[in-house]
Parts: sequence; structure tokens; C-alpha cells
Amino acid sequence: MITCLCDAFFDDLARATVEVLEHLGCTVSFPAGQACCGQPALNSGDWAACRRVVRHTAGVFSGEAPVIVPSASCVAMLRHGAGLAFEGEPDRPQVEQLALRTWELADFIVNGLGVRTWPGRCDATIAFHRSCHSRGTASGEAALALLGSIAGIQLRPFGEAEQCCGFGGTFAVSFPHISAGMGRLKLGQIQAVQPDMLVSGDMSCLMHMGGLAERAGRPVKTRHFAQVLRDALHQT
Amino acid sequence: MALQPIDQFAARLPAAQRESVRQATKGTHEKRTQLLLDRFADGDGLRRLAGQIKQHVIENLDTYLPQVEARLQANGARVHWAATGEEACAAVLGILKARGATKLVKAKTMVSEEIGLADYLERHGIESLETDLGEFIVQIDHDHPSHIVRPIIHKTRGEIARSFEREGLGAYDDDPQVITQRARRYLRKKYLEAGAGLTGANFVSIESGRLVVVTNEGNSRFCLAASKCHIALVGIEKLVPRDCDLALFLSLLARSATAQPLTVYTEFIAGPKSPAQPDGPEEMHVVFLDNGRTEVLASECRDILRCIRCGACLNVCPVYRQAGGHAYRSVYPGPVGAVLSPMLAGGRFPEFADLPKASSLCGACQEVCPVDIPIPDLLLRLRDRGKREGAALASAGTPPMGAWALLASRPALWRAALAAGKLIDHVPTRLLPVPALQAWSAERTLPAWRGGTFRAWWRRRGRRRPGNGAQVP
Amino acid sequence: MSAARAQILSRVHAALSPLPQRASLPAWDRELLGRRGTPQATDPWTLFAERMKAVNGLPCATVEELVALLEGPGWRHGYCDPVLWPGLRPAFPAGFVVETEFDRMRIDDYQFGITAATGAIAETGTLILSDGGSSRRLAALAPWVHVAVVRREDIFADLHAALAAMPVDPNVIWVTGPSKTADVEGILIEGVHGPGVQIALLAAT
Repeated sequence: MITCLCDAFFDDLARATVEVLEHLGCTVSFPAGQACCGQPALNSGDWAACRRVVRHTAGVFSGEAPVIVPSASCVAMLRHGAGLAFEGEPDRPQVEQLALRTWELADFIVNGLGVRTWPGRCDATIAFHRSCHSRGTASGEAALALLGSIAGIQLRPFGEAEQCCGFGGTFAVSFPHISAGMGRLKLGQIQAVQPDMLVSGDMSCLMHMGGLAERAGRPVKTRHFAQVLRDALHQT
Repeated sequence: MALQPIDQFAARLPAAQRESVRQATKGTHEKRTQLLLDRFADGDGLRRLAGQIKQHVIENLDTYLPQVEARLQANGARVHWAATGEEACAAVLGILKARGATKLVKAKTMVSEEIGLADYLERHGIESLETDLGEFIVQIDHDHPSHIVRPIIHKTRGEIARSFEREGLGAYDDDPQVITQRARRYLRKKYLEAGAGLTGANFVSIESGRLVVVTNEGNSRFCLAASKCHIALVGIEKLVPRDCDLALFLSLLARSATAQPLTVYTEFIAGPKSPAQPDGPEEMHVVFLDNGRTEVLASECRDILRCIRCGACLNVCPVYRQAGGHAYRSVYPGPVGAVLSPMLAGGRFPEFADLPKASSLCGACQEVCPVDIPIPDLLLRLRDRGKREGAALASAGTPPMGAWALLASRPALWRAALAAGKLIDHVPTRLLPVPALQAWSAERTLPAWRGGTFRAWWRRRGRRRPGNGAQVP
Repeated sequence: MSAARAQILSRVHAALSPLPQRASLPAWDRELLGRRGTPQATDPWTLFAERMKAVNGLPCATVEELVALLEGPGWRHGYCDPVLWPGLRPAFPAGFVVETEFDRMRIDDYQFGITAATGAIAETGTLILSDGGSSRRLAALAPWVHVAVVRREDIFADLHAALAAMPVDPNVIWVTGPSKTADVEGILIEGVHGPGVQIALLAAT
């Protein structure tokens, strides 16, 4: 599942995800009917619209194979959020079945396939941003473990790590001042440790923070960890 | 595009005020986290346990309310019931009139704010004086608290000094020590003149009927020690099963609220004073308040009734730090308020339907809540309700999802949209009639549109690689 | 009033009866509140004193220490519980005016109040007061200095122990340090409505 954001803006991340999975020996398929996990509609309170999108997605991804997503946010939607919108719905079991097979990418690599170290090289200081949707999941730790295992990477922690970056999906456009204020505080903490790049498991956070930084004239290099993993493979 | 009022409020908030709220809440939050880590092997386990105990109580209130009433009566307290805020105010007035009391001193209780008690009593000729320093300052300023534990987190010492001077409490002096001493001297006389003292209750033990009232200032002690009548205003959800459970709740409360192991004073009030004790209330009244709580109990958001009013969620909330408490336009701000205020509003829900939207659903609140309330889930449920009831504030500024759902469930339409999106790279954003795009681009650059690029790559790849299309093992 | 009672209880019942089951009360062990790290000193007064100092309280092991504490800042006019006074009086030099009756019309005359504590909690440095134990609530509350006299055998280890042994008393107060507020810009000020100085005196055996 490449996610709607990658479909629109981040094709390189989608490609990197495929390459990383194939490096690990997986055979990857891309059901072309996919579009979105339904989260924007859930968050907006339009649960009828949400169910429509989730039903389509469940149909597109029907079967047995694990569904891998380079986004903790979309996985949280399918694993938890959808449950709210499908309370009392007759096809809730189908949705739950999809959720059980859905993995965030780092979680899949480390806990699904048992791979804890990554080959190759990347000479960079990295500030890693844990997205809020990875709270209470294994994704953040898994990504950190993989990144930390790459030769040449130095991970730089920064302050107020528990504070949200301010993206929040439609929140970013319904509450633009608050969203931007939160993002600037976050960027302040990150830029204080002067990393070579800002890395995360959620492209949405990076799009928001990267966009804010660029508009402010202090751009920061942003990469999804899947891109770092892919790039490391090409460096020895 | 319609704008969200809380976002506009945040935009207008003076930077200095935002920064002082941020520093105050950040400091308390970080200390709270360290305290729990230092003291307990499994602080999160304790939060979940406390949550389960509270959930048990609220789901058994039908048994527990009559039980605690009987216990309180056996202890010598009179028990009153108030279905609405108006009834609660009338009950308090009735008690005061029966005693011929015209002066009331009150300790801090958010419930009294909720029912508008001070204004009501004033209209009926009762002088009602706040004794908590922060609430006293709110009262003399005709202001509203902006935080449930730190009511004047938004005020500077200079503002307070000017208010004190205006009220005749002394020439301008913004030294916090002087301010505090002046309040101490002024209020001592008032305690001794009062005909009754009013408190809330942090907890009520069903087992012993003890009310637990916690303060750092000692004002609730003075309200009771100096007067002859005690009135306690208590929400029906404030019960805990047993005295031994208080060890857990008291271990969590002050750490979560003010980052201290215990508040200075923890009072366990089981009835009017002992006969041999010269000081203290001869009469004790407990007014149990509904005011919308039974509606919450009947809803899918009943978990919010676990709340012990610690304020930890406010202290960690990044939205609260940007907007401050007054942005929520209600007695309860922050994450708890975003759930409770619309729900307690009853028929006026639409007026507060925007509060549950003022959140990025980051989940930090749930992580710090001492009773493990799943606040983000409750916010989502209220957004669903806002949409179903057609509340205008619920949809302001939100892109329409019906069209999105159509695109996202019709692959041909989706692919067409991916192609059409190229427009944003060629047409200036301000000319594109897409409010979401305008809102985004006001503060952020947008990445280049790449719709369809991955899919084209995948198709080309498929032509080069035989046997592609098998599932991931 | 009873109309409101009937209305509220019937609404509560209506709200809860659709629930297929009710959340149960979990059993839990006091060990969950156990302290991280190494075990504490075994003498309850020693631990209590250490913890009381950590919350800006002043523990005194002897009445002589107490007198020195009061004399320094010139606190010489106060109140003492008449039951306690005969035992303490010999240590108080001339120059002290100690009344054994508390006149609420003159609360500002009393610079200190000496009353009995019914117990203490070592873990948190907390004193326990009660209606039955305190001769006058106001004497423990209104003066700038409060001295609570506590017996070693009445010191509990932790909150759990103190709660298990709560006296049958309508007004039990746990006092943990002097009164304080941080309402003005988060700056900590001691001495608000309650005492600004909280002293514990270990009762002589």
C-alpha cells in the first residue's frame, strides 16, 4: 500500500519501499485499484465516507498476503481507527481481517522478518522524528534500530520529542495557525541539534515540517527511513 | 473558507502569553514525567489500573450512588441532589438562607464555575469570595480561569499587581511574595466572618463516605475551620470504591497535576466536626450534581467521566500550548474540555462542536492521563456526532469528504485526479479555488506534484520483469 | 430535592442498563505502589525527618531544638495545647508568652501554634492531624508557625499503611510541608493561608 500521499507527491518513497522489500527477498505486488486508507474522512467525522473508502481498500487488498505500508499513520487507521467507524457494521470482520495483515514497514522488517541490522553505509547525522501514530506501536523502535545499525549514521536526539509536529491530517488546513505554530516549535528543537537530515516513518510529518522550513528560508533535508535504507544499499 | 474560531484565537494570542503558557505547562509536564519514572517501576501500569477502577465505578453508579448517600448520612452529613446547575445553585442558596448566612468563602472547585454559582449568589445577595489565590485574582478581575489547576497561568505579576492596587489591597508591587502576603492578610478576616465554607471534592470514598479535598494553600482547611457550615459540591462521578484505593489515586493525582508527590494538604472529611472540637462546621451538606453527566454516562463517551481533573492533559497538549485555555470558550479547556464541554452542553452541543476538532489526535493526552482515558477516540466520536447533527462549527475549514470518498473508491476517477493534479504545479495557488490548498500554502511550500509517476514506473517495470504480480510471502 | 434524586437515579439506571456487562473492580496489591530502588532506613523518625526536610518542613528531635528554632526569628508569642504544655514548658525560657487557650478574635497574636499530631507518614514526610487529636483546628492552621508533636510509634511507613489505620474521625488532615502556591507566574511562595513554617517535634518518651 503506497498511500495517497506517495501516489500524489512521493513516488520515490514508494519505489524505495519496493526496493527495500525486494532486497529482503519479498515478492511485491501493487494492486492498482488502491487509493487511500480512509483516515481523512474518519478524522473529519464523515464516517459514512470513511466506510466507503475503507470498503474499497479492503476489496482491493483482499487475500492473504501481508500488506506493507511506509506509514505508521495509515496502519493505525486500519488497525484502530477503522474499528471505530465500523462498530456494529456487518462487514466489520472483513476490515479486521485486513488490519491483521497490515504492517508498517519498519515493524515488518524487524518484527515480521526478524531483520535487525541493515547493510551498506550512510554518512550522516540524523534527527529521527517519531510520528504520533507510531505511539504505542513497535514502529518507532524498529526504525531506530535499523537506522542505528547502518555504518556511518549518527542519531541525534532532540528536545520535546513527545510534542506533535502539527500535521494531523486535515488539521493542518482547518487549524493552519496552530498547525504552523506547532511545526515551528518542532523545527526549532530539531534544528538546534543541527542534523544533516530529518528522517521519519511518516511522509506526512516530513511534508509539513519540510514545507514550513522551506517557506521560512531555512530548508531542512527530509527523508523517509525507507529512502535512507535504499540509499545505504547503494553505498558501500 | 469558513475559519475555525480556536485557530483564529490562537493567531491573535499575544506571543508573550503563548510563551508563558508554554513554559509553565512544559515545565510541569517534564517534572511530572520524571517524578513518575523515579518513583514507580511501572507508572503506565498504575494509570491503567486507576482507569479500570474508575471505569468500574462509573459503570456501577446505579449501585454506588445510593450506597455513598447512605454512608454520608450515617456520618452525619445531609445529602442533596441537583439535576441541573440551576438546582445546585438553588440548593446552595437554600442552605445558606436556612442558616441566615450572607457571606460564603469558597475553595477552588471547577463545578462551581460550571454552574455559575458566584453570579447566582451575588444576584441573591450573598457575598461569595474565592479563597484560592489564583481564583481570587480571577474573581477581582471578572476574568475566567484558563487552566483547571493553574487558573491564572495566562497572567503576569504586573497585571496582578495592578489589579491589587485597583482593589485597594496596596500600592503597586509585583513581587509574588508581597502579592501572596496581601492576599493572606485580606482573606484571613473573610474566613472568620463567613457564615459557611464551600468546597468541591477530589474523591468520595464509597466505603467510608470520606470526601477528599486536596490543596497546597490551605484555603479549604480555613474555609472549614473558621465557619460553622460546610457545603460540598460534587459531581456524581467523583466516587472511588474504597479508602485503600485512595493510596493509588493520591499517588497519581498530585504527580500528574502539579508534579509533586503529594499536595501540602490532603483532607479527609467524614462529617461535621467532632463534638469536642471547638473549630469547624456543625453542619455538613453534600450536593451531588448531574448537570449533563447522566447524558455523558448514556453516550459512547462515558469514559471521560473517569477524569480526576488533574490537568496533565492540558500540560502536554501542543494545541493548548498554542491557543491557551480561553480559546475553548468553556469551563473545561484542553483535551478533557474538548470532550467534556460539548457533551455537558446538552442541547447546545452545536455551539461547541468545533472543540473536538481542535486536535491533531497526537495521543499525548492519553499517554499522561492518570486514569488512561482514550481521549483521541472520544474526540473522533464527537466529530462523527458533529457531522451527523450537521453542526456548522464541526465542518468549518474541513475539506468535503463526500467528493474524496468518491475519488478514493473509483480507480478510474482516482487516476484521472492524479493526472489533473499537475495543475497545481502550473497555476498559482491563489488562483486555485481549493480552500485546503490555500490554507496549506499560506505557511508551507507544497512538494512538486508527482501523480501517476510511481504507477508508470511500476507498469514499465512489469513489462521488463516476468512473473511479477505474485503476493508477498 | 427528592424529585431531583429520583430523576438522577433513574437517568443513571437508564444509561447503564443497556450495557451487556459492567466493568469489574480489579484486585490490586499494595506492592504496585512499592518504591523503586533500595530499601529505606529502618528507623521511622529518621526517614520521616529526611522526607519532611525534602518538602521544606522542619523536623525537631528535641524540644530544645524547637525552642532554638522559635527564638531565632523572634517567634515568642504562641499557643500550646493545654495537654501538651506541662511536658514542654520546662524547656521554654522566660520571654515566651504561651497561651493555652486560643482566641479566634486575636488569631494574628499567635506567631506559633503547638498541637498534637495523631500520626505521621515516613515515606512522604507527612504529619497527620485530626479533630480528636488537635485541641483547636485553627491553632494548627492560622499561626505562621505550626508545631505538630508526634510520637515515634505513630509514624506509618507509607500512604497505604496510613489509610488502613485511618482513625474514626470526621476530619483527618495530611500535612506535607508548609502551605504554598505557585499561582503567580509559577514562582513558589511559601505561607499562603496555612502556616509558612511547618515543624514536627518528636514527642519525648
